[in-house]
Amino acid sequence: MRLALYVTCLVDLMRPSVGFAALRLLEATGAEVFVPEGQTCCGQPAWSAGNRRLAVDLAKKAIGELERYDAVVIPSGSCTDQIRNVYPQLFAGEPEWEARARNLANRTFELTSYLADVAKGGFDTPDFTGSVTYHDSCKGLRGLGIKRQPRELLLKVRGLSLKEMPDCEECCGFGGAFSVKFGEVSTQIVDRKCDSIVAAGADAVVGCDLGCLINIEGRLRRRGDETTRVLHIAEVLAGGSEC
Amino acid sequence: MSAAGRSQAMHFHARAGEKVRNVGLQRALQKAKPLFVGKRAKGIAALAEDGLDFELLRSTGKNIRNRTLADLDVWLDIFEERATASGAEVLWARDGAEVSRLVVAIARRHGVTKAVKSKSMLSEEAQLNEALAAAGIRPVETDLGEYIVQLAGETPSHIIAPAVHKTIGEVEALFAKEHGRPLETRSSADIPAMAQEARAVLRQHFLSAEMGISGANFLIAETGSAALVTNEGNGRMVTTLPKVHVVITGIEKLVPTLEDFATLMRLLPRSATGQSISNYVSLLTGTQREGDHDGPEKTVFILVDNGRANLLGSDYQDMLRCIRCGACMNHCPVYFSLGGHAYGWVYPGPMGSVLTPLYTGIENALDLPHASTGCNQCGAVCPVEIPLPTLMHRLREEQNERGLRPWSERLALTAWAWLAGKPVLYRWFARRAARYLSWLADDSGRIRILGLAPAWTAGRDLPVSSGRTFQELYSARKKA
Repeated sequence: MRLALYVTCLVDLMRPSVGFAALRLLEATGAEVFVPEGQTCCGQPAWSAGNRRLAVDLAKKAIGELERYDAVVIPSGSCTDQIRNVYPQLFAGEPEWEARARNLANRTFELTSYLADVAKGGFDTPDFTGSVTYHDSCKGLRGLGIKRQPRELLLKVRGLSLKEMPDCEECCGFGGAFSVKFGEVSTQIVDRKCDSIVAAGADAVVGCDLGCLINIEGRLRRRGDETTRVLHIAEVLAGGSEC
Repeated sequence: MSAAGRSQAMHFHARAGEKVRNVGLQRALQKAKPLFVGKRAKGIAALAEDGLDFELLRSTGKNIRNRTLADLDVWLDIFEERATASGAEVLWARDGAEVSRLVVAIARRHGVTKAVKSKSMLSEEAQLNEALAAAGIRPVETDLGEYIVQLAGETPSHIIAPAVHKTIGEVEALFAKEHGRPLETRSSADIPAMAQEARAVLRQHFLSAEMGISGANFLIAETGSAALVTNEGNGRMVTTLPKVHVVITGIEKLVPTLEDFATLMRLLPRSATGQSISNYVSLLTGTQREGDHDGPEKTVFILVDNGRANLLGSDYQDMLRCIRCGACMNHCPVYFSLGGHAYGWVYPGPMGSVLTPLYTGIENALDLPHASTGCNQCGAVCPVEIPLPTLMHRLREEQNERGLRPWSERLALTAWAWLAGKPVLYRWFARRAARYLSWLADDSGRIRILGLAPAWTAGRDLPVSSGRTFQELYSARKKA
């Protein structure tokens, strides 16, 4: 099994430890894992802004790089949603590209859905001391139907207890460019998410998308919460956030 | 005035800031949200107890709406024929101004000095109250929320809960002032007493008005009827007591049969308020017949286009399925941060972010299609499966195609996409960016003020990495 890890531009720039954690997990499943060197960004920011032309350019680039692998795994529901659900819509009138986009879409997986549904274990999770609460990211949840998988994986971690927060499916207010275009509104929304996290009373909040996590961590810290840890699920499952 | 002339949607960004900082508004919204969401969730869950599958109902509802829209002209003809046969008159209005002209003309013909109204968002599109007042006819809103909003000289901020932006204390103060009584007569939380007070005032209006104006939740083609779904009973007063009844509604509100109506009624109240059925459901057909104890002597349907026909056959036709339940705004994180007034026109929330640009001009509501995190909480609850985020996205694309995005945004995106297309250069640039961000961060690895994105750091820190990109660390590890 030749497997490509697509780390995402956000992990590359903001939190490399998530990429290394995902790498360790995938290698532990026995797959031969490659990190395609040319990867940059899936093009979602252009798509979200309504710029189809730029989104198409970057989609073609990503398809060319990733289609040669048996599967592509991404530690982000948002970027996975872009490849699985958006790419196939981008090429109306270009049947060859459309077929390639569909082909890639069918072999692209969000990390937890790959680990829980495709690889079905095969890796040992380290111990974790404490409780976590899980934030369902919008694209993962409503775009890809990821709800059970991360919880299933978290519950396998020895020493970890899961404390659900109220309104766990509620958006954190990140929304990519939205968080900057409408900074005050975004802050208002993430403030409510922080209230929910605090209400759960867990030691850490865990999610599958770094965008949401940076937003949540940034607001928690600004509110003066220096103790609640904010972790990507790969970091929990692979043990620690070292690179 | 054209719809665009009245719309304040271009001021969304500025208004958003004001609304976020409005403490009273925030209190009102945070109180309302769990009620809306919780009641709907219970209502939907109760469906399963009755052996009904919500997802199946949704797709049935969607199909009914699609089927109607596919042959809308035919159903409208049938409706006109049946409604006329039952004694009503059917008029057509191209836009809001024409609605106002028609209603004022009918009022003059019948010597109307006062019109009682039940809730109609379309009358807001038409600015009907202003037109009536200008013609010397007093419009009185009788839905409790609409009544409050009218007393306060405001507009509705929610399509089914028009005064949701007000706290109980604000309403109490308003009632005391407008009803001419001292404020301190009772505890401000005595809602039944306040409703009783409004009821006493409204009763006099019901008895003295010569005209009733209502909307319609649905029009039923096979019977030529208007269906009215209400909870307060004011709708029945408005449509039966005055001698003239005018129904104003959009051409898209049509359904072919009573059977279709019954299916959609399984979806509408549950999605709106969580009720299995609303307190009152009225089917209004024709005029008072011989032997009837009540009912209008004259019934007029005004069927309104105001931009709807343009959506037929367009990329946005799905929006015409909307049955006006309000579930999209009730589940919208942006709506519940701002309330409805920030959206600047008649319809707030996700449905407004689609309808306002489509009905008032894309160039007059540039922010609205972007006022979404893309969370799709709206699309997930819509009872007729309108893909609201997809429609907002299509509007964003159209803004780009028509050159309506700011040059700074276009330049930034183009430069970034160019860079992302050149991996070697991109990696070099990402390394520099990682160093720079790390240099800006404090000892705890966080940036408190970021000049490049001040809107981010105004309310949040920005946690950053140690200054090395993943690619950089990975290639170093491979070499080692």
